[in-house]
This record gives sequence, structure tokens and C-alpha cells, in this order.
Amino acid sequence: MIDPAAPVLDVRAVAKTYPGGIEAVRAVSLQVRRGGLLALAGESGCGKTTVLKMINRLEDASGGSIVYEGEDIATLDPVALRRRIGWVMQGDGLFPHLTVRENVAIIPRLLGCSRDETGQRVSEMLGLVALPADDYADRYPAELSGGQRQRVGFARALAGRPDLLLMDEPFSALDPITRDTLQQEFGALRKDLGFSAVMVTHDMAEALIMADEIAVMQAGEIVQQGTPADLLSRPANAYVSGLLETPRRQMRAIRELGA
Amino acid sequence: MSTNLAERLAELPQLLSAHVLLSVAAILTGIAISVPLGIYAAQRPRLSAATLNIASVIQTIPGLALLALMVPLLGGTIGYAPAFAALMLYSLLPILRNTIVGLQGIAPQIRESARGIGLTGRQRLWQIELPLALPVIVAGLRTATVWVVGAATLATPVGATSLGNYIFAGLQTRNWLSVLFGCLFAAGLAILLDQMIRLLEVAVRDRRRPLALAVGTGLALVVGLSILPRLIDLDARGEMTADAYGGAAGLAGTRVEIGAKAFTEQYILAELLERRLSAAGADVAVRDNLGSTIAFDALASGEIDVYIDYSGTIWATVMDRPAPVERHRMLAEMTGWLHENHRILALGALGFENAYGFAMTRPRAEALQVASLDDLAPLAGDLSVGGDPEVFTRSEWIAARNTYGLQAIETRAMDSTFMYSAVRDGQVDLISAYTTDGRIAAFDLVVLDDPRGVLPPYDAVILLGPQARTRPGLSEALAPLVGRIDAELMREANRRVDLDRQTPAQAAAWLDGQLGE
Repeated sequence: MIDPAAPVLDVRAVAKTYPGGIEAVRAVSLQVRRGGLLALAGESGCGKTTVLKMINRLEDASGGSIVYEGEDIATLDPVALRRRIGWVMQGDGLFPHLTVRENVAIIPRLLGCSRDETGQRVSEMLGLVALPADDYADRYPAELSGGQRQRVGFARALAGRPDLLLMDEPFSALDPITRDTLQQEFGALRKDLGFSAVMVTHDMAEALIMADEIAVMQAGEIVQQGTPADLLSRPANAYVSGLLETPRRQMRAIRELGA
Repeated sequence: MSTNLAERLAELPQLLSAHVLLSVAAILTGIAISVPLGIYAAQRPRLSAATLNIASVIQTIPGLALLALMVPLLGGTIGYAPAFAALMLYSLLPILRNTIVGLQGIAPQIRESARGIGLTGRQRLWQIELPLALPVIVAGLRTATVWVVGAATLATPVGATSLGNYIFAGLQTRNWLSVLFGCLFAAGLAILLDQMIRLLEVAVRDRRRPLALAVGTGLALVVGLSILPRLIDLDARGEMTADAYGGAAGLAGTRVEIGAKAFTEQYILAELLERRLSAAGADVAVRDNLGSTIAFDALASGEIDVYIDYSGTIWATVMDRPAPVERHRMLAEMTGWLHENHRILALGALGFENAYGFAMTRPRAEALQVASLDDLAPLAGDLSVGGDPEVFTRSEWIAARNTYGLQAIETRAMDSTFMYSAVRDGQVDLISAYTTDGRIAAFDLVVLDDPRGVLPPYDAVILLGPQARTRPGLSEALAPLVGRIDAELMREANRRVDLDRQTPAQAAAWLDGQLGE
């Protein structure tokens, strides 16, 4: 039924206008190919998070359409749609009154998995994010470090075996060392499980390192979309060059030190 | 064990159980209303502001006033219904406010996370939002519980039985043990329920099933034990009625509710009525500590069947007549008016007057050369007068003040229990005394003359309600009391309670003995 060659997600000219006439997003079109990671980059308020939220209908688009696995999401039940798509938030979004096990078990439980199956899934997911269930499953989020909480956030999002993961600044609240470790682990995880992902980030270096494709947004519109190499070699305008300038300068500085 | 302690302990099961049932019912209903309302309002800022404002306004009404207001609002009903309604309203604010605040205090990130992973609105509420808001909601519930259990003592003046019976009766008869009983048990009950709720929350939070079970059993036990005395009481009543049928008395099997206001004389007279009616075979219940106008409203609506009121009180506060008239004319007009307007039967005057009079200590009166109210005007600026809070708003005081030129006098409202010792100890110069009070003689007080006749006569009158008057045997059983109790007898009976620390029942037995057959 699902065509492996077709894009997982096809966003066609979506727009979002809030009551009062504020246009947060204008005619944004994007495709996410199977197994790919698309980064939505840009400064705060450029509309990238709004685009992300329209994909699982946390916000409804005011124009255009979004096709997920060949189906127009406007025709799908929003709750069922959200359960099929993984969701990772800035910070961690874990429920503080539930244990790690209960947080991860939520989606399998909602999807109607049996108790045994849910238990297995929890152990498997915690293993994947390097938090052995025996040690961590019965802890509360407050008893974990920031990096561990974010790992649980990934485990929870992946527990329903989604083929698409939506991530809103998933690494931004972490210290640089933990962030680097988690970024690498995430890359390995994606390779193992083969899911596709859309990641919102304001950190251009992160986008360059992690993404297969980057869409740069400014004032509700996409100003350039391409591979990291495309962007570096042919920035579309001064705004994109400006965003690339910081990682470039850092790389140069480090290279000079090592020389 | 002293008689007093034994009597107080004997009252405990009834009063405590009534208090528990009243408070628990009010709190449970309060939860059932305010938690869903809070959930609904939490996501609607304008509605939550409006409901919180209304609940806050209710909260600022003093407890006693809120309870008393419920009586006219419920069409003159006294007893359980107005007390329940007022206490329920009282419990709303803390629970409602904390439900709204608790839900609104959940981090937006957590709400969004719950939506983002695919929880439905209902699942978000039950699995995420309510559990996270629970500690705040429970804190509100605990506040409400402590408030309601405390405020339930104020149910007594609107005719509902509660631990307040100890307090109000104790204050009036200066029975401090009784007051202490009321306070201690009300406080103890508040602490007990508060801690049970706290433990229940801990049990839910930590998912400790045995603890939850233990606390749940405890709560069920408290409520169950509170229902028990009522069942026993009903049984006993059934048996008594059966016994009474065996006798030949005229009122056998008839249930009669006697009302009494909240002061010594009223308690004694209610006991006296009870003795006479029980002797005639009636199944009698006394509802004492009723507020002054509440007693009249309760008689008119048939909530109580009989009580003693005073002609001047009916004249001024019920009939709303501006100026008093001569004693016998007042009695006659009042009797006619009550019959015409409320179908209430004024069976007759007991024979004594319990008037308002202005009393001073004898040495003070002699030092100031004061014998009548006329002598006060030149001194008014230097004098203070004590009286119960009601008296200074009544037409009698206003008439006396204006007629005798007492505008400059300082008025000090206090509970009537304390005013006699206040004048004796020189804390006020005079008081608005009740002329049958035993302490007038005991403290050697002088009642000042009223040469211009502004203070109305206050004949004590037996009043029978619209249904009660038609019951065969009832007026016959009480008629022998008419004209038999003079001021001296009444004063002595009052003195026995106020100064000799007898119970109203003992004083009533003595009074009954003096009346002969």
C-alpha cells in the first residue's frame, strides 16, 4: 500500500494565518524522503515550529495540504495521526508524575498493545537509548539528568514504532558535551530503525551535521532548501550566508588552533 | 464524675454525629460541584475569573450571616437544609480556586507534550492534568474541610443540631465546660478529617493500596458511626411512642417540636414545656438556640410547633409597629394580628415580663444621683452602655435614645453573657438588661425608671403554630401555665442556671415544682 519510493511526507503550499491576520507561514512546500532527516532552520519566530505542528495537526493549516504516507492528513483523525507519528519536544516533555516505564509505555498502551508486549517494548526502547530498564525504568524524571530525560523522550516517541519522528529543538536544552553524544546516538538509532524525521532547530551547525536536507525559513517562507553541501557552496542570499557564518567561523578558528 | 460532665457526655453521640453528617455532606456536595466547575472554567479565563469572584464574595460573608440568610432564601425553612446549603457554598471557594489554579499551573510544555503524543482530551485530563493538579486540589479540599467543620458549629442558631449546641448553650448559661466540649470536639474532628484526606492523598500519590484501604475504612467508619445514633434514636422514638399509646395521656403519639431562642430563660421555658407535653404523652423534641426572628419564621412555617416569645418583640420586629402601646392593649392587638396574618395562636401570657431595662450598679447610680432615664441626658457624653448586638439596632433603643437625649452615650455591643459582669466590674456604666435576669438581684443592679414609657412591655407569651393549634390536647396541656409564672419565679429559675450552675432541666424541674399541679 505504501510506495517505498514516494516521500513519507509531502507538504504542499501550506499556510497558517492566525486570527487577526498574522501570517505565520506562507506557501511552504517540503518533501521528506523515506529514511531522511529534514532540518527546518531559521531564527526564532520564522514559522518553523508552526510548520512542524501542522504536520501532526497540533495546529491546523489555513491553506495548502499535507500528505503523509499518501493520505491527506486533513482527512485523518488528529489523535490517531499523532499516535502514528513520533513527537519529541524541546526540554523533554516527560510527565513528572509517571515513572520512566510509564512514560515510555503510554503510546504502546494507547495503541492497544497487550501488557506483555508493552513491557517488552519498554525494555527494548530503553535499551536502544542506553538506559537499561533494570536500572532506570522505575525512576521518576526528576531523578534523571537532562541528557537521560531527553533519551527517555526519544524512547517514548519511538515506542509506537513510528515511521516519522517530529522533533522540536530536541537537543537545545543540553550541555554541549551531552548534546554531541546524543546527536551521534540519534544518528545511529536512525540508521538502525530507518525512520524519517523532521527536526526544528535554530542551531545551523546541528542542522549541517545531522540533516540530509535543510530548509531555511525566514518570516514564514522557505528561502532555501537543499543538502548541507548545497547550502555551504551556494547560499541563496545574504540571510542564509549569515546563518552559515557562525559555524564557518568556529570551524576556521578550530582549524587554526590545530595547525 | 460531675453531673455537668455526665450530661455533656450524654449529648455527645447526637451532637457529634449530626456535626459529622452535616459537614461531610456539605463537603462532598461542594467537591461534586466545584471540581467539575473548576475543570470547565480552568480553560476559560473569563469564566474562571467570574466564578472565582462569585465564590470569593460568598466567602467574605461571615459564616453566621450566610447561615442565617439561607433561612429566608429557603422560604423560612430551618434546620438541616439551610445549614447544609450555607456550608456547601462555604466549601466551594477553596476547592474551586485550587482546582483552577492547579490545572492552570501545569507547564504548557507538558500539556503540549500530552497532545503531541496523541492523548485525547479526556485522557489528558484524567491521566496527566488531574494527577498533576491533585496536590493543589487536595490542599483546597483540606482548607474547605477545616472551614466547614468549624463553621458547622454556627448551624445551631438556624436550628440544625451540631457541636455548636454545646457552644451556644454554654455561652448563654455560662457553662464553660460545655463551650470547651464544643470547641474541642469541633477542632478534633477538623484535624481528624484533615489528616485523613492528607493520608488519602499520600496513598493515591505513592499508590499505596493498603494505606488507601485503611483511610477509606476509617472515613467509612466515621460516617457509619455517625449514622448509628440516628438509627438508635429512631428506634427509641418508635418504642417511646408505642409506650405512650399504652398510656391514657391526651397527646399520645403526637410529635411536638418545641423551639427556643438562645438564652437561659428560653432554655428553661423550653424544658418546662417539654415536661408538660411529655407528661401528656407527646413525643417531644426541642430545637434550641434559634435566632430571634428565625424562631418566629419557623413557627409560622410549621417547622416548630410551639415556643415562647415576648409581646414587645413581636410588636416591634414582626408587626413592625413604631411606638409601643399599653401592656394589655398590646397583648390583645398582637393576639388578633398573629391570628389574622399567620394563623398563630397566642395561647396566653405566662405572667411575667422580660423587658429591656437599663441597669446600673447601685453605688454608681447613687454616686451619679440617677434613678430614671431622664437623669441620664446631662451625663450622656461621659457614659457607656453595654448591650447585646441586637439591642442597639432595635426600635426600643432608638426610641429611648431619642426621647431621653442619649445620643452622646457610647454604645458597646457584647454577648449578653458578659454584660452583667461588665457593668458590675465598671467596664461599662449601664447595660440594657433583661428584667428577669437572675444577675440583677445577685449583682445588686438597679433598673432605671422609664417615666416617658418608651420601652415596650415584654409579656412572655406561649405561641402555637398554625397546625399545632388544631392538634387536640396541645393547648390543653399548656394552658395551665398561663398566668402562673411571675417575674420573681422566673428570675429565681434564671439565677439557678446563671449563678448556681444548675442545668436548664434542673431549673425547669424546680420551676415546675413551684407551680404545683
